[in-house]
Amino acid sequence: MSLVAEAFASQVAATEPWPENATLYQQLKGEQILLSDNASSLAVQAFLQMCDLPIKVVCRANAEYMSPSGKVPFIHVGNQVVSELGPIVQFVKAKGHSLSDGLDEVQKAEMKAYMELVNNMLLTAELYLQWCDEATVGEITHSRYGYPYPWPLNHILAYQKQWEVKRKMKAIGWGNKTLDQVLEDVDQCCQALSQRLGTQPYFFNKQPTELDALVFGHLFTILTTQLINDELSEKVKNYSNLLAFCRRIEQNYFEDKERVPLR
Amino acid sequence: MVQELLFHQAGASLPTPALHVALQQQPRDENGAGRGRALPGYQRSQGRQDGGPLRAQVLGRRLGASVCPLRVSGGSGDVPILTSEDNIVSQPAKILNFLRKQKYNADYQLSAKQGADTLAYIALLEEKLLPAVLHTFWVENDNYFNVTKPWFASRIPFPLSLILPGRMSKRALNRILLTKGEPPLYHLKEVEAQIYRDAKECLNLLSNRLGTSQFFFGDIPTTLDAYVFGFLAPLYKVHFPKVQLQEHLKQLTNLCRFCDDILSCYFRLSFADG
Repeated sequence: MSLVAEAFASQVAATEPWPENATLYQQLKGEQILLSDNASSLAVQAFLQMCDLPIKVVCRANAEYMSPSGKVPFIHVGNQVVSELGPIVQFVKAKGHSLSDGLDEVQKAEMKAYMELVNNMLLTAELYLQWCDEATVGEITHSRYGYPYPWPLNHILAYQKQWEVKRKMKAIGWGNKTLDQVLEDVDQCCQALSQRLGTQPYFFNKQPTELDALVFGHLFTILTTQLINDELSEKVKNYSNLLAFCRRIEQNYFEDKERVPLR
Repeated sequence: MVQELLFHQAGASLPTPALHVALQQQPRDENGAGRGRALPGYQRSQGRQDGGPLRAQVLGRRLGASVCPLRVSGGSGDVPILTSEDNIVSQPAKILNFLRKQKYNADYQLSAKQGADTLAYIALLEEKLLPAVLHTFWVENDNYFNVTKPWFASRIPFPLSLILPGRMSKRALNRILLTKGEPPLYHLKEVEAQIYRDAKECLNLLSNRLGTSQFFFGDIPTTLDAYVFGFLAPLYKVHFPKVQLQEHLKQLTNLCRFCDDILSCYFRLSFADG
């Protein structure tokens, strides 16, 4: 969007308060949604919970196609539709709620850098595992992705998506990586997050920010999703402060909802 | 024990302009860090699309490297390449890992948290700044046809000089469109506007982080400084017709001072524009 369009959109956003009937759309939770989409959706839900804004989660099979950017999750607030964590954070800020107002410039830079680290490493690793690792693709991804569609559409759409993701991986240089290298990258990322978190309750000490929501979304999903083998979740389980961090956020912000508890 | 590690120019299969660094292993000091002082050397530097050679060169320089052009065969066509005895390592990240395993490390005095910060900032650079740098060098028509293409073509032997720059340009455009060109940005102009906005924000963040200190983590340069330098120096020094990002960078005086400091400390001759 051009600068003018963005300014206009945030003006419109600022005039109305957060409505009661805001909804978040994602794919079908039990049968269709994949690891990476689940992580992104959980991150947005955590963020909205942290801001204390009511949101209803609605599962639709065609959520990916409804979204303005093609990515889930997206929220429908008033008469506006916003997708992905970054724009949602800005939208919520325009409405007057923000988690990172108390940070100074250097801390905000750090927060943005860590969010990019999570997106760059964890999200890309999840996508790689889902779409470029043949075993996972065959057993889990294809059947889940094409679940709501009849034959042959389910196969066609799954292959199309796989081709797209593989093309993107090649463009950013992940095309030649082996699974072991990807897992090593995940380990490096978790180590960096663990070192940054240290013994603090949240990344920027007392108050959670959007970085905490993002990290929670990804780590919790990795820990609780059943894949072919446990290698990915083992990498995260090596860091006890990250596990404690996930449990803390789950208890503080999600305990009144139905959720599969962390073991 | 003197071991010669040489950066080579990839030869037979795909000659590309490369950075050439010869590294002499220094006797280790008490910390076992094995860091040497920069030896005088002559330099012929070529900017690659993502400043990779500069990064490796800065690190090499700090470890006592002298730069000399060499041409050897083999290699996958990736630039820069480091060969040490029988190992051939390409790509900056792998080279840095390799050097680290050989106990050459610029990050010994960093705390764990600072090491984590390094990773995070590198991710930020690659995500926000790299698309715009790629665009400035390889996609923007005026820049590409007037500066980048003749520069690279002059170093590559005919007839590859007709093919390779075009291929690199297409690869850069591909990368930008695949990573940033998702809906609702449908037109290349909107994608360009978005990536330049991100890049300017990223430069502002870097400037805020650097503040008034000499390097990013105090007084001694580290891997992060090498990375940032690798991205910023070509942007800062090369003379382009279309200079949007360069103008923005020049307004951030502490980043310019940072580049100039590293250039004067570790690159004895002035930065050759080719």
